[in-house]
Amino acid sequence: MPIDVTLPGGLTLALVPDLILIAGAMVLMLWAAWRPDSASHQRSVGVGALLLTVVTTVAVIVFAMGGYTAKPGIIAVDGFRWGSDLIFLLATFIAIALSIDYNTREGIDAPESHVLVLFATSGMMMLAAARDLMIIFLGIELMSIAVYVLAGLNRRSGRSAEAAIKYFLLGAFSTAFLLYGIALVYGATGATNLTVIADRVRQFQLGESPMLLAGIALLLVGFSFKVAAAPFHMWTPDVYEGAPTPITGYMAAAVKAAGFAAFLRVWLEAFGGSYTRWHVAVWWIAAITMVVGNVVALSQKNLKRLLAYSSIAHSGFVLVALVVGTSAGSSAFIFYLFAYTLATMGAFAVIVALGQPGEGDLTIESYAGLWNDRPWMAAAMTVFMLALLGFPIVGGIGFLAKWYVLQAALQAPAPQARLAVLLVITTAISAGYYLQVVRVMYMKPRAANAVASLPTGRLTRFVIAAAAILIVVLGLFPDSLANLAQRGAAIPPAPQTATAATETPLPTAGGR
Amino acid sequence: MPDFLNSIGYEAWVLPTLLAIPVAGALVLLLHGASSKGEGGGGLDDAGAMFARRITLFTFLLEFVVSIGLWWVVLPGEAGFRAVVDLPWIRTWGIRFALGVDGISVMLVLLTTLIMPLVVLGGWTSVRTKVHAYHALMLILTSGMLGVFVARDLFLFYVMWEVMLVPMYFIVGIWGGARRLYAALKFFLFTMVGSLLMLVAILYLGIKAGDPATGIPNFAFDRIFAAAAQHAQGSLELSWLGLSIPADTLLFLAFFGAFAVKVPMFPFHTWLPDAHVEAPTAGSVILASIMLKLGTYGFIRLAIPLFPAAAMSPGMRTGIIILAVVGVIYGSLVAMVQTDFKKLVAYSSVAHLGMVMLGLFALTRESVQGAMMVMLGHGLSTGALFLLIGMIYERRHSREIAAYGGIAKVAPVFATLLTVVALSSIGLPGTNGFISEFLVMVGSFKTFPYLTTISAIGVILGAAYMLWAIQRIIYNPLDKADNEHLTDLNWREIGLLVPVLIGILWLGLYPKPVLARMEAATTNFVRSVEAGAATQSASLPAGGR
Amino acid sequence: MLLQEATTGAHPLSGSIAELVWLIPVLPFIGFLINGWLSIASAVRVGPRDPSAAGHDAAGHAEDHGHGGDSGGAHGDDHHVAARHKYASLVSLVGPAVLLLSFGLTVAIFMAMLGVSREAPFVRTLFSWIPAGDLHIDAALQVDPLSMVMTLVITGVGTLIHIFSVGYMQDDPGYPRYFAYLNLFVSFMLVLVLGASYPVLFVGWEGVGLCSYLLIGFWFTDKANADAGKKAFIVNRIGDFGFLIAMFLMFANLGALDFAGVSAAAPALGLNSALATTICLFLFLGCAGKSAQIPLYVWLPDAMAGPTPVSALIHAATMVTAGVYLIARSSFLFSLAPVAQLTVAFIGALTALFAATIGLKQWDIKRVLAYSTVSQLGYMFVGVGVGAYAAGVFHLVTHAFFKALLFLGSGSVIFAMHRAYHATHNHDDAQDMRNMGGLRRYMPVTFVLMWIATLAIAGIPIFAGFFSKDEILGAVFERAHESTLSQVSWLGIPGTTLLYVIYAMGLAAALLTAIYMTRMMLYTFHGPNRSGETEQSHLAEAPWVMTGPLVVLGVLSAFGGWLNLPALLPIGPIGVLEHWLEPVVGPATAAVTGSAAEPAHSTEFALIGAAVAIAVLGIIIAFVRLKPARLVPKAQAPEEQGIERVLLNKYYVDELYDRTIVRPTVWVSRSVLSQGVDQGLIDKVLVTWVGTGIPRLFGWFGSRLQSGQVGTYAWVLLIGVIAVLGAFTLR
Repeated sequence: MPIDVTLPGGLTLALVPDLILIAGAMVLMLWAAWRPDSASHQRSVGVGALLLTVVTTVAVIVFAMGGYTAKPGIIAVDGFRWGSDLIFLLATFIAIALSIDYNTREGIDAPESHVLVLFATSGMMMLAAARDLMIIFLGIELMSIAVYVLAGLNRRSGRSAEAAIKYFLLGAFSTAFLLYGIALVYGATGATNLTVIADRVRQFQLGESPMLLAGIALLLVGFSFKVAAAPFHMWTPDVYEGAPTPITGYMAAAVKAAGFAAFLRVWLEAFGGSYTRWHVAVWWIAAITMVVGNVVALSQKNLKRLLAYSSIAHSGFVLVALVVGTSAGSSAFIFYLFAYTLATMGAFAVIVALGQPGEGDLTIESYAGLWNDRPWMAAAMTVFMLALLGFPIVGGIGFLAKWYVLQAALQAPAPQARLAVLLVITTAISAGYYLQVVRVMYMKPRAANAVASLPTGRLTRFVIAAAAILIVVLGLFPDSLANLAQRGAAIPPAPQTATAATETPLPTAGGR
Repeated sequence: MPDFLNSIGYEAWVLPTLLAIPVAGALVLLLHGASSKGEGGGGLDDAGAMFARRITLFTFLLEFVVSIGLWWVVLPGEAGFRAVVDLPWIRTWGIRFALGVDGISVMLVLLTTLIMPLVVLGGWTSVRTKVHAYHALMLILTSGMLGVFVARDLFLFYVMWEVMLVPMYFIVGIWGGARRLYAALKFFLFTMVGSLLMLVAILYLGIKAGDPATGIPNFAFDRIFAAAAQHAQGSLELSWLGLSIPADTLLFLAFFGAFAVKVPMFPFHTWLPDAHVEAPTAGSVILASIMLKLGTYGFIRLAIPLFPAAAMSPGMRTGIIILAVVGVIYGSLVAMVQTDFKKLVAYSSVAHLGMVMLGLFALTRESVQGAMMVMLGHGLSTGALFLLIGMIYERRHSREIAAYGGIAKVAPVFATLLTVVALSSIGLPGTNGFISEFLVMVGSFKTFPYLTTISAIGVILGAAYMLWAIQRIIYNPLDKADNEHLTDLNWREIGLLVPVLIGILWLGLYPKPVLARMEAATTNFVRSVEAGAATQSASLPAGGR
Repeated sequence: MLLQEATTGAHPLSGSIAELVWLIPVLPFIGFLINGWLSIASAVRVGPRDPSAAGHDAAGHAEDHGHGGDSGGAHGDDHHVAARHKYASLVSLVGPAVLLLSFGLTVAIFMAMLGVSREAPFVRTLFSWIPAGDLHIDAALQVDPLSMVMTLVITGVGTLIHIFSVGYMQDDPGYPRYFAYLNLFVSFMLVLVLGASYPVLFVGWEGVGLCSYLLIGFWFTDKANADAGKKAFIVNRIGDFGFLIAMFLMFANLGALDFAGVSAAAPALGLNSALATTICLFLFLGCAGKSAQIPLYVWLPDAMAGPTPVSALIHAATMVTAGVYLIARSSFLFSLAPVAQLTVAFIGALTALFAATIGLKQWDIKRVLAYSTVSQLGYMFVGVGVGAYAAGVFHLVTHAFFKALLFLGSGSVIFAMHRAYHATHNHDDAQDMRNMGGLRRYMPVTFVLMWIATLAIAGIPIFAGFFSKDEILGAVFERAHESTLSQVSWLGIPGTTLLYVIYAMGLAAALLTAIYMTRMMLYTFHGPNRSGETEQSHLAEAPWVMTGPLVVLGVLSAFGGWLNLPALLPIGPIGVLEHWLEPVVGPATAAVTGSAAEPAHSTEFALIGAAVAIAVLGIIIAFVRLKPARLVPKAQAPEEQGIERVLLNKYYVDELYDRTIVRPTVWVSRSVLSQGVDQGLIDKVLVTWVGTGIPRLFGWFGSRLQSGQVGTYAWVLLIGVIAVLGAFTLR
């Protein structure tokens, strides 16, 4: 049934899941502050946060199944929103679960950390729902500020603090571009609402208006920063390395996903009309991101940095889905982010599970011979690595995700054959570093001075096992997931002009 | 026999069962392995290890027994697919779980199921660490390889094609020799890099074959073939960095990359010697006997029939045949100067597989039949060679030819068997080697007389490198102290070689049953490709090729 | 194919004993299986259950009666003379018996043939061997006059040599293995001559090559022997390459590979057609390999490393004549290609002369015989080359008699020498003629028989060799006068001229043959004994089991000529063999000679006179010039100088091949291909540099940029912004 989001009541109804989360987070905040920090308190709040996440998830699912729709307004009620929300919540659940064990081990008695995660998540859900540039800005800020703090959570660690400050500075820098972009778009169209912008552009032939284009360009920069696309990725390795591992995973998965959700929605709903103008730039950003991320990752020694670059590379792959700009593209996008979230969070979970207090040594070599004393851990890590690599069966949905993106790219009215080829070539390159991890775990002898890893927390073990099993099983029977993703493609496909109907040639502009 | 098979509904379940049995065995091993700690040295007295070996052997024997029936399923004179299974798998993307065998693939399936038990017996005592995992990987590998042979859905084919990599990667990388890390990575990367472009091509075809209304692609072989043919008629041109190449040529090249690396064709072969040398015996045998055939199988099943015009365009065809002939001569010459017997055999494989490629692209009924025979024969004789090397290596822990000499004196049975197998490998009449290479060359001579003549020089070189190696190993003075107390083969080793020898002589003396079963399929292949090449090249614009 | 079945259907021999022809090769094969099994069974000591655990288990130590334990035997180094093999008696029964049986069967079939018309060959199809595409090769055997002659020779002479071996090899530890190989050889040889198609023939062709390889390297722990075996096989493979190409050409152009089919289709090629010539030349390359003609003769002398009976059977009587058989068998092709025929004849003559000169200076008694074999084979090729197929085959037969006799004789000489040396623990060379001399006193039987053979090979009238050799030379002279050959020109030389040259070369070779054979006899049996006092007391005639076969062969060498008497000497039935072979080679011969008139008797008498005179002259020269008394044992022998040295070293041809072919090939393979291309270009440059170098470069660049300085990051970000703005605004 259609909800009229212009009326207060309708708006509230449309925002119920978000409201549940925010309200719950507030309550937890109070509870967290109620009693002095302690490991046990941190745990109990964490568990509370997990429960809240589950509740919110249920709410989202109810709405998703409810088949609600909405008239154009500032809030979207569509499959894309619910699909994105589920991805965020999945990442949130994993992040909190890991944080509980992690904080205990690292002696971070900060119950508020879990609450911050929840606030960040609520910001993300707002991004997924937003149909107005102002709401998007609000969501981004809400998410980012919480994550800035989370990055610096570990007060004892200098690296953590450095990461936080870097992330904050550059984040602010890029947010400025974002805001300025919004301003220019508003200046050109006199609107901030995505649908209205699209109408105005069509109505008044604003497609070529320099102001609008400049605005789009600056928005592109802002989003590219959030999703860590080259050349706006520089912050990623340092921040990912410094931040507490569960938070790193959270950033790599959820934050990126949220950025993409807004990115995609804005691009297709508002700027679909000027596809021919922006797709060149996005095309190049996607290409550069794939190449840079994968190639630089080859020379990484530190596991967290390696995963940082891998996450950059995957941004490139997701961008391909965005370049396609069709509904198939956006379902592939949902599917991909889901697979990616499971795999990358799983990998970070293994790092959490095997890390020593203080995480002094996170080099890949420190995993040498892991197979001998932690066979199941090694097996799970193998699954995650192969999933990120996009390898069939063993890598489960990792492969299907890439498959789906490729299919969308080739099926589009403007087939992106070149990007597809580039995608597989860079995938081949990525085998170089993903396999390195596998190889070290299985084929190198345990280092003589290796310290036996501590017993892993129950939650962490659960997360790892669940993620691995999900990846493989969904890889064998992906039909349900694929259907879900198709429902997630509720966004109207970008109208493609006749010039784009055939294999789009490389414009000279991109070359310069 | 056929009646009996029908009475048990054999065709309906055989292929899925063949894929399932090894996986089941692997699961048993994993569970048992997880429970048993794996102490006990993995020797013959280690109960846990012996359990793993016995289970694996049993599984493979069962697999073999089940597969035997296929011999009566695919009867002479039938070109089509038999034992067909076709179930929906991923509806949203139009992917089906479609299996089937014809005269071409059934032989390779039987070869696989025959070789695998022998491989297990071959590594019976030589593998002593992580015995469970080792055997589990071999079982999974088998499912993967069989999957490639029986797949009738392009997506399934690709998945199986990639899946094989992982177990082999581990087998080489964990139980391999000194440079195993390098070899394993090289093997994995070469194959994967080769096959990724094929992925794009597969999707491209699947979409073309799909139904435009729903936008759901279709990867069923027959649909794909139809689409490829009709699509090449249109001859859509992909402009690539300025110069424009016909689409089907690009697509063919994508498939070519995947298969040529696997074959391996010169100059994509350098992963093979490393992988062969570093792999444990089982790895080498599986690589040589079965995995290399996957490449040539890909050519005969997909690459050539899908894009006949592209594959048989004068330039492409001649170029590939030249590469094949270069492979024959180059492989033989390089094999001649190897000091490591495994490396020598590896390069001899390059030469033999060059013969296969020559036969396939010469495209006469004799040469294609011959190519198939080389695939089977090479599977037997080269596999046996690696098994024999493994046996002697287990005793002396050296693959260096120079480390031996005169051991016929202390190990006569080994010497006799090695001689017989080596002779079949160099194509002595009466063994499989002669039939196959003779057919390839006699057929290819019709279409490419000069290149075939050059490739026939390989007959001389083959004798040169093989006999030279044989002499330095089993003949000459017994002048190395370590060899004087060398023990001869034991009953297990003799027994596991007997089936191979029987196969070698059978294919050499009475190949008719095999040839007859492949005849229809190969003839069909030749005819359709000829026809396709003719019509398509005719319908192409002058600029096309 | 069809044509063939039609004939077989109606063939008079169908239903007769000839149906059993397949038994002829199968019987020796059974012998091979039995003896082979005995050999393995006596040698095998099965290894431990877990080899890697008991890798160096002393229990696995094999004793000297193992498969390979027989590096001594009759061959010289005798650090162990094992007692007779435990299965010796059984083997000595089986080995020769199977041969005798198939000889008997052959005779029976031969008898059956006498009665009936022999126009069409009788083809016994066993089963369909290689059916693929248009190619249908049956496992079929063919009974016709030619194959019968060959079969009789092989089984007959083969039986004698088997019996001889029983004595010769009695002390050898590898006794069963020896007979296994020998039986296998005969089996393959019979397949070769009985095969009804080129591929089946090729099976035997390569099979005998294999056996020769195994038997040459019989005492394989001596590297030289193993080398010789390998050399023989590889050189033969070069020939087989030619044979293969010839078959490919036939199939591609004539569409058949069985004799019936090819002979039916061949005329379509037309006389002097390039295709026919090419096919024949490639076929001849095969023959040159198998029958040791220039340039592929080099393996045969080394092949003497094998046991002497082997040399007699394989490297004199049977296998090496396979080339001659192949040409006779393909006569319908060769008669279409006069140029190819001239090539065959000329190469044959050249080989005959060339080998004869080398024979002059060899000291090893077996090497003398080896080169004489090469030379005599040259004669046969002259014969079949000029289209006198019957004459060529005739010489093949007689040569089988006297050369087998010579080899076996030398065998018993070596046997005696070796025993003597063995008794006195002397490690001198038992085969060097300089260590012999005056043996007639110790082994009279051998002495007499050897002289018979020598006179036969030298071409003294009434002895077998005289007739066959004379027929060949006569034929050459005839063809030069008028034939298809005389009309074509070969490399610019008119056929007639070339044929006269060939004739002259033949005569010269005959002269040399007489000389070196007499030389061999003189040094071996005449003059004083040089083996040493103590040794002399041990010299003795070989046992009857060895001399018996010699006697039989002696008779054959003496009277074998009666098989095919020329019209001039009506001392018996005229041209029996020629008439017998008429159905097979007659048409081809006629095609060559055309309507040439029989030359006048006077000319023929002149020719014979010349030949005889030459032979006698040679013997006289030898007696006059050579002084056995002056000879000193090998140990004290001085270094030869000048031409003698060159001859002794066989014109350094082996060295030439080694330097120009073998070594360069190995060098190129190792340095250029293996190290240069494989490890260098492909692996290092393409894989390593490109594969890891570029990423490393990026990584370095990336890490330099990834300095950790926020300022840097901001700048990069700004550059990105400008780029994006550019992408949007510029176009």
